Amino acid sequence: MINEREFLQRARLDRPTLTVWLEEEWLIPGHFADELSFTDMDLARANLIRDLRDNMGVNHEGLGVVLHLLDQMHSLRRALAAALEDARGGRSSPDL
Amino acid sequence: MKDPYETLGIARTASADEIRTAYRKLAKKLHPDLNPGDKQSEERFKEVAAANDLLSDAEKRRRFDAGEIDASGAEKAPPNARYYRDYAAEGGHPYDSQSAYGDFAQGDDLFAELLRRRAEQTRRRPGADLYYELPVDFLDAVNGATKTITLPQGGTLDVTIPAGVEDGQTLRLRGKGAPSPGEGPPGDALVQIAVKPHRYFTREGDDILLDLPISVKEAALGAEVRTPTTTGSVMLKIPKRSNTGDMLRLRAKGVKTRGRAGDELVRLKVMMPTEAEPELDAFLADWKPAGAYDPRKEM
Repeated sequence: MINEREFLQRARLDRPTLTVWLEEEWLIPGHFADELSFTDMDLARANLIRDLRDNMGVNHEGLGVVLHLLDQMHSLRRALAAALEDARGGRSSPDL
Repeated sequence: MKDPYETLGIARTASADEIRTAYRKLAKKLHPDLNPGDKQSEERFKEVAAANDLLSDAEKRRRFDAGEIDASGAEKAPPNARYYRDYAAEGGHPYDSQSAYGDFAQGDDLFAELLRRRAEQTRRRPGADLYYELPVDFLDAVNGATKTITLPQGGTLDVTIPAGVEDGQTLRLRGKGAPSPGEGPPGDALVQIAVKPHRYFTREGDDILLDLPISVKEAALGAEVRTPTTTGSVMLKIPKRSNTGDMLRLRAKGVKTRGRAGDELVRLKVMMPTEAEPELDAFLADWKPAGAYDPRKEM
C-alpha cells in the first residue's frame, strides 16, 4: 500500500497530472481510511503511461485508447490461460 | 555490450532527432507491456533503452564517442523493476475488462461456463492482507493492553493485545486489511508483536524470572522484602541462611493466559555492602563458625 505522496514521488508525477489521470480513470487507486491508497501495480501502470507518453509519442487521446485495449488484451490472455488450463485437465498451465 | 548505434540502427553521425525517432520506433515495437507474451522483448527493450540513455545525453554520447566510457558504463538501472504486464497477468484488479470476450461468456457451453466462473471468482476475491510490526512494552505484553497503530497510508488501527502475547507472535485483525478490488470482503491486518526487554524481568514460557538483590543481613537472618511482580509489589519471605542462586517461587504471579497462570521465579543475589563496614569486618575477623562451614567442600 502506497499513499498519495509516496506514489507521486515514486511515479515521478506531479499532482495536477495525477488528478487528470484519475479523472480519466487511467489509474484506479483504492481508498483506505479516507485517503487514496496505491498498489505496486498502480505504480507499474503509471510507469507504463509515462513510457507511452514520453518515449513513444502517444498523445492524451491515444493513451485512453491504448490503455483500454491493453486491459482487454490482459483479460483475454487470462481467459485464454484459464481455458487452456481446463483443456489440459486442470493442470496449471506453463507460462504462455 | 552491443554498440548503442547498432542497437538503435543509426549512423554514428545521427542527429538528436534521428536518435529520438529511432528509439521511439523500437520502443513501440519492443516495450514489454505491448508484448506481454514475449519473454525476449524485455531484454531487447532494455538494450534499446540503455542505448537511448547513452546517446540521448550529449555529454555521455561525447564521452562514449571519445572512448572514455563503454556502452555498459552508461547503463542505468532499468526504469521499471517490474513491468505492468507482470501484475496484469493476475486477475482481481480494477483494470480488469471483460468487454473483449463478454459475448463468449453468454452461451451455455463449457468455455462460457468457465469464463463466468472466473469472472465470479474475480468479483469475490478478498482484499490483500496488510502486515505491520508493533513494538510492545514487556509489561503490556504480560498484562494485555490496547494500542493504536498510526498507519503509513494514513488512518489508525486499534489493536487489542491479549495478556501473555509472545515476542514474534502475529495477531490477525479480520477485515482490517486492504479493501477488495471487487465485491469481496476486505483482507486482514496482520500485526507482528515485538516485545521490548524489561529492565529486570525476563520471561520463560509462562514464568517470569527476576534476580532479587538482598543484603547479607537479610540472607543470614531471613526477612520479608518488597519484591516487584508484573502486577505490583508483594512481600516475599526470605528464609534464614539464603544463598545467591536460591530460587523462590511466587505462585501464579507469572503470565496469565487462557485460565493458566505461570509463576514468578525469584533468584536471590546476596550483595556485600559497597561502603566500608568496620563493625562487620571486626566481627568477621573474630568469628569462629560453630559448624563445618566450608563453601568449597564440593570442589
